[in-house]
This record gives sequence, C-alpha cells and structure tokens, in this order.
Amino acid sequence: MRLKRRGMKLLALFLGLSLVAAACGDDDDGDEGSEGTDGTEETTDGDESEGVGGGEFIDLGTIVGDPLEHIDPALNTTLDAFQVITALYDGLTDTGIDEDGNPAIVPDVAESYEANDDATVWTFQIREGVTFDNGEEVLPSSFAAGWERASDPEFAGDYSYLFNFIEGGAEKLAGEADTLAGVEADDEAMTLTVTLAEPYSNFDAVAGFQLFMPMPKEATEADDFSAWENGIMIGNGPYKMESPRTSTEIVLVKNEEWAGNAEGETFDDRLDRIEFRVSADPDTAYNAFEAGEGHNANIPPALVEQAQADYETTLDSLFLGSYHFVFNDRNPLVGGEENLALRQAISLSIDREDINTSVYNGSRTTSTGIVPEGIPGWTEGICEFCAYDLDAAKAKYQEWVDAGNTQTEPIPVQFNADAGHEPVVAIMVDNMKAAGIDAVAQPMVGETYFSDLADGACVFCRSGWIADYPAYDNFMYDLFHTDALDGNNYGFSNPEFDALVEEGKRTPDKDEQAELFNDAERILLNDATMAVPVNWYRGDYVYDPERVAEFPQEFGIIRWERVRLAE
Amino acid sequence: MISYTIRRILLIIPTVFFALSFLFFLLFALPGDITNLIVGGADRNVPQEVIDRAAERYGLNDPLIEQFGAYWQRTVQWDLGDSYLSGRSVNELLGEKAVNSLRLGIWAILIEIVIGISVGMYSALKRYSIGDKITTVVTAGASAIPVFVLGFLLQYAFAVYPNKHDWPEWMRLRTSRMGPNEWDFFFIPGSVEQLRYLILPAFALASVSTALTARMTRGSMLEVMRADYMRTARAKGLRERQIVLRHGLRNAMLPVITLIGIDLGTVIGVAVLTETTFSWPGLGSEIATSVDSRDLPVVLGLTLAVVLVYAFVNLLVDLSYAFFDPRIRLGGGESK
Repeated sequence: MRLKRRGMKLLALFLGLSLVAAACGDDDDGDEGSEGTDGTEETTDGDESEGVGGGEFIDLGTIVGDPLEHIDPALNTTLDAFQVITALYDGLTDTGIDEDGNPAIVPDVAESYEANDDATVWTFQIREGVTFDNGEEVLPSSFAAGWERASDPEFAGDYSYLFNFIEGGAEKLAGEADTLAGVEADDEAMTLTVTLAEPYSNFDAVAGFQLFMPMPKEATEADDFSAWENGIMIGNGPYKMESPRTSTEIVLVKNEEWAGNAEGETFDDRLDRIEFRVSADPDTAYNAFEAGEGHNANIPPALVEQAQADYETTLDSLFLGSYHFVFNDRNPLVGGEENLALRQAISLSIDREDINTSVYNGSRTTSTGIVPEGIPGWTEGICEFCAYDLDAAKAKYQEWVDAGNTQTEPIPVQFNADAGHEPVVAIMVDNMKAAGIDAVAQPMVGETYFSDLADGACVFCRSGWIADYPAYDNFMYDLFHTDALDGNNYGFSNPEFDALVEEGKRTPDKDEQAELFNDAERILLNDATMAVPVNWYRGDYVYDPERVAEFPQEFGIIRWERVRLAE
Repeated sequence: MISYTIRRILLIIPTVFFALSFLFFLLFALPGDITNLIVGGADRNVPQEVIDRAAERYGLNDPLIEQFGAYWQRTVQWDLGDSYLSGRSVNELLGEKAVNSLRLGIWAILIEIVIGISVGMYSALKRYSIGDKITTVVTAGASAIPVFVLGFLLQYAFAVYPNKHDWPEWMRLRTSRMGPNEWDFFFIPGSVEQLRYLILPAFALASVSTALTARMTRGSMLEVMRADYMRTARAKGLRERQIVLRHGLRNAMLPVITLIGIDLGTVIGVAVLTETTFSWPGLGSEIATSVDSRDLPVVLGLTLAVVLVYAFVNLLVDLSYAFFDPRIRLGGGESK
C-alpha cells in the first residue's frame, strides 16, 4: 500500500510555496502496505482501559488530501484506508506484540493454524461463533469466497499479485482458471486449507493482510463487485458502517455482533462511533484539531515540536517503514563492482542525524539498515556504512580515485519533486560535496517518478517502503530480489543475495530465518552497498490528552478497539 | 433584446465545446501516462498488468480521437460517466459539490456587494477623510493577502485561539468542513451551528473581491460625481441623497457589475484555495484533486458545469447593463 496522506500538494501546486511544501509535504512515499498490527507502547489490556467507555471519536488525521479511493479490502492500496478497513474487518491472523515489543503473528478469526514441514500447506482452524455484522456466520467458505472475489481478474485490485503465493493463483489472475486451486474450505470441520505455489514460512503474516479478509455472501454473490465499497460494506470487525461513505466523511458505529479477538476479549467499552473526516490538507486538519473540532490529527513535520509540547503524540511508536535511496547497478556513474568504494563513500558521507533533526524535527529514527526495527528478525546496526563519518568517506573516495577512477559528471541525487524531499536532498548533496564527491540535486516530475524509475532512469534515487505485512522478505524480496514483483528497477541482481532471501522465505525456524535474511541485507548494504538507508518512520498522530485517554497507534495502525476518550 | 439574448445563448454552445475539447486534449498532454496515474503511479511503481487492466477497463487504449468522439457522444446526452477512482456517478458528485459551492459563493458575493459597495461609496463621499484613508489601507491589504494566509489567520483568531483559551462555546467559529448542512431557502443557514461553519470561509472567499469592489466603487463614484449631469442635477435642486443614489450610484455601478459578475463565476467554480483551506466540499477543490489524479470524467464533468455557469453569468451581466445604463439598448445591432 501507499502512504498517501500528507503533502500539502494543493497549495504547493498552486502557489509554488516551497517553504510550505517543505514544511508540510513530507513524503508521499511510494507503496506501503500494512496489515494487522499491534505493537509497542501504550498497550492496554482488554477491557481494563483508562478513560471513559463509549463516546464519539472524530478523526481528522487519517483522511488528508483527497477522499479515499478505495475502502474495499480487495482494492485498497493505502495505509490511510487501512485505518478504516482494520476497524471493519478481522482476518485469519493479526499482529500481536511479543515480549520485546516487536510484532508477532497471532491467531484472530483462525483460532489456530499450522503449516506442514516444508511450509507449503497451511491449515487454519476457524473460530466458531464469529459473525458478520448482518448476522451471517463467518465460515471457512467466507474466506474462500472472499479470496475468489479478490482474485477475479475482472475486478482484482493492485495487490492481487499476492495470490501468486497460492497454488493456482497466477492462473486465476491470468484468467486461465476459474478458481484458486490451492484453497479448500471445509465448513463442517471449520478448516481452511491453503496450498502454496512454493514453500513460504511467513504465510501466516500474509494471511492477515487486508486482501485475505472474509466476505459475506452479499459481497461475493453480487453482480458488480465494485459497487460494494460505495454502499454499506458488511464486515466482521469491531465496527460497522453507519452509512455509505461520502466524499467528506466515513462514519462507523460499534458492531454489537463482534465476537472479539482470539483471546475472547470483546473491549465492550470501546468507542460507540467513529467519524473519519476528510481534510483538505495537513495544516487545515491540524488547525481544526487545535480548534477542538476533532480528537486527533496527523502531525505536519514543521509542527512536531509544538505538537509534542502541547499534546500527546504517537511519535514513539514503531511504523515498519523505511526511507532510503538506491543506486542503479547498471548505471556507469555509480553501478558495478568498480564503483563500490564510491557508493560506500557516499553512504558514509550522509549525515542522517542532521536530516532527521533539520527536516523532520527528530520525528523519525535514524536508520541502520533498510529493514526497520519491529520487523521479526530485525537486527540493529546491519549497515556498516550508515554512520556519518566524513574522514572515512573521504578515505573511501580516495580509494576509489586511486583505483584509477574519476568523476566525469556530478552524481544526480534524484527525487520526486514537490513532495517534501527537497531539504533532505539538499543536505545529502552538501554532505557528498564535503567528502569531495561531486553531486547535484535532481528533482523529477512527481507524477511520473516511479514509472520513470521503472524505465531505468534511476542513478541514485529516493525510495521508500512501508511493510505490507510484518515480514523481512516484504522488504528484501519485494524490493531487491532479481525477480522482485514490482520489477527490480535498480539493476541489482546478486545470486548469493537471491539465494539467501529464497531460503529465508522457506525456512520455518524463525531464528534461522532471521540469520539468513540478516546475511542477505548485509550483502545488500555492505558487500554491494546498493542502497543508502536514511531513516525509519515513526507514528505520526497527535491527540489531546484532555479529551483522549488512549490512542494506540501500533506499527502504523490505529487499534480502534482500544481507543478511549477522556471525558 | 430577445433576439440578442437568443444569439448569446446559442453562442454558449461553441464556447462550451471549445473549452471542454481543449481541456480534454490538455489532460492527455500533461506529463505522465494517464492510466498509470489513475492506478496510483504517482506514488509507487505499479505492475504493468494492473496498468493494462485499467486501460482496458476505461477504454484508454482506444485512439485518442475515438475517445474524444465517445466523450462528446455521452456528454451531449448529459451522461457524465463515473469517476475512475471512486466509481461514483459524476452527476451525483456534481449535484453535491455544485450546491455547496453555490451556497458559499452566494454569501461571498453578498458580502462583496454589501460591504464592498458601501465602503466604496463611503470613501468616495468622504474623500481624503481619515475613514477614507483607513479604508484605502485596509482594502489594499485585503487584496494583497493571499486567501490561504488570510484563511489561516482567521482560523487562528476565531477558532484556535478561543478554543485554547476556553472561550465560551458560542464565541468560537469553525475552521473546516461544512457542518450540519442545515439550510433555509437554499442558502440561509438553518442553525447557529451552520452559521459558525459558514462565516470564516465566506469572508475569506470574499476578501479580495470585496476590497477590489470597494476600490472600484470609490473610483467610479468619484468620476461620476464630477460628471456634467451631476452638476445639472444639483442645479435642479435635487436633494444630495437623491443625486448620489439615483444618478451617481447607478451610473457608477457599470464597471462594478462587470467585476461582480466575473466574481460570481469565480467563487462558484474555482474557489480552490478557500475550499481547500476550509475543507469546504465544493467544485473547485474537487476539480483540482481530480486533475492531480487524472480522474477524467470528474474533471470534465465538473468543468462543464463551471463553464456553463460562467457563460450564463456573463450573459446576465451583459443584460443587466441595459438596466443600469439606459443608453445601452441591446438587440439586433440597432442600439445607438
């Protein structure tokens, strides 16, 4: 999914106000995903939460900019809409928190699940007594039918490629098969058996992703699937829709039929009503929040300090997203083995702390790798060239020059224009020049940025990624594997890296798997130095503690069932 | 007069055709593959199969000229299509947004007329007085401050500050969105709460044009006051009030009417900044965001409405000249 929000695009567009854009633009980074969740501080136990029960919550921070394109879990690609979907639907699994505060996959509508030895067949035991908000029982066939709907080639959304994990998924998407061959629902035994196309030991994480939500008959038997999200969608989550969405708001009310989570917690004192209001831009939303018109807002980067001083924020929570720059291995300026020392010099020259402080007011975490803290298997300090060291950078650059290389032209530091990246790149160019490396900022047209990269335009280009689901391979495989699904635009193709990632995906033992993925990331960042991590995202909501007692945003996702008002 | 009106109405047809056709091709000429942008390509790298599927679904693979023909074929039947992104009917969207824009626009125009003309007249009649000087400074300032800056200042002063300092609820105005949507006689706020939502965006939207109207009224009025017929009127012994209102104001209104007429089209169709700053769900902000995501049916459908409004408002302005200036007689080229 994409991280849509933020970005005072309109004003910047019409007025060319670079200052405003820089302050408020943030990045609309590409992609992103997200998925279930749980995780970090502010955790509360079941029904024993602070604050008062019930009440109405007005959300000003989730839908900023345009109204949501999609809220159908089969079609949505943005984190913003997922904040709504997560309140409406529960999947097979959810993301809980382990004792270290990291995400851990836990059962949800599936009360238990297991994989065979080589992680090719997964069997989910569905809980009895779970219903949709219209009273229809949630059965294994509700999942199967939902998946058939989401993989219908006439309807399938942008994320439908995830069905490639399942046997027969590729054929279904290509229109060569009518059903997903690998999915078997037994409503008698309440089991859903999924046979995968290849061994994959993190499928339990993927199974909780929005694409794999169960769907009631009203949705799966409809003539026109696309009309679903414009009516009252029926779900099985803690909330249900009060009315069809409009371009100005989405209103949810408590789903009294909700069966609770797998532990039987029903959070009975959860909010009665949630109103998501569409705000035109982040500053407007923040103003409205300050005027007392809503309970939360997204924090415009320029207002981070003010927000921290005046209110409570979720800045301390992990987000599972990475902001980084990537080299094109095919480009003669920076690619290839001969330019390794140059790439390492560049990575060493970047003052990531300065970027975080000056541009983001300290609202992000300076990164030490691509894969962010919180992803199972994450290890701190994987990257050996990510700590700012000007002398080491100069030495590396000299090493590159001594090998007989010279710079024929400045290295372009590329980014999508008018999305808040200008000040980051300005610092990077200064940093590189200080190390003796000639560099120049190269803004590219935002609308075509990612398609230009896909066409090979990247030399040293900005990128970003937010986890679709909390799995290491969602970063390593999806971004850097030779067969990366989105097309590996950076020319990085390393057999050793590929082999480690593939083996990691197959390995059921989590410690063993982590080592394999860590080794792969070391190749990416140290042996080949094909990417320059800059920072990891953090939570980005502000709320007024006088009116909101608890607002858990965990791994990016708001846990609506645990939000509590203070009055 | 009637044949003039009919001719002017017929002229609207080519105007609309050329404006929309130009826009149609312009949208395809903008940077970026249109299908790629529709499926979110501005923010991420979209798999080719997704792009292909969308192109197929929306008929974007057809030759441009065929798409153009199909577009007009639908449009003349007032079939504006569905939004590519949300799937919502553009007709429905238009109904919803146009009404919101119209309500805000009406209030902005009313403020412009009442305050702009009153202040302008006051300045003209009390030329060089302290009041005139203050008015000159204020109107110059109001026309120079960008709407969104003024919007943020107004929000801070009348909503954020009162909230932070716990002013009584009734003293706080609202900063964003349209509120409860309660209206009497189409545009009169049906509740105090509705009024609190309306005040700030209406004044922000009216600010620049009110200042311009005031300045233009003042200038025009001063010029008219010096005219021979005014001296004649005074010589006839008419009361000053009658002179100013009947002879002066009416004659001074011609350029002001033109300005207000143009403003009417502007405030309804392209109040992008005000609508954005106050999250007012109107036509302007909808068109702007749709251009961004290349949602063609929405852009073209809503623009069609705006062009029509503009054309009709212009017609009304022209017709109103006859009322304000008896020397102008419209019709058949016979007017002298």
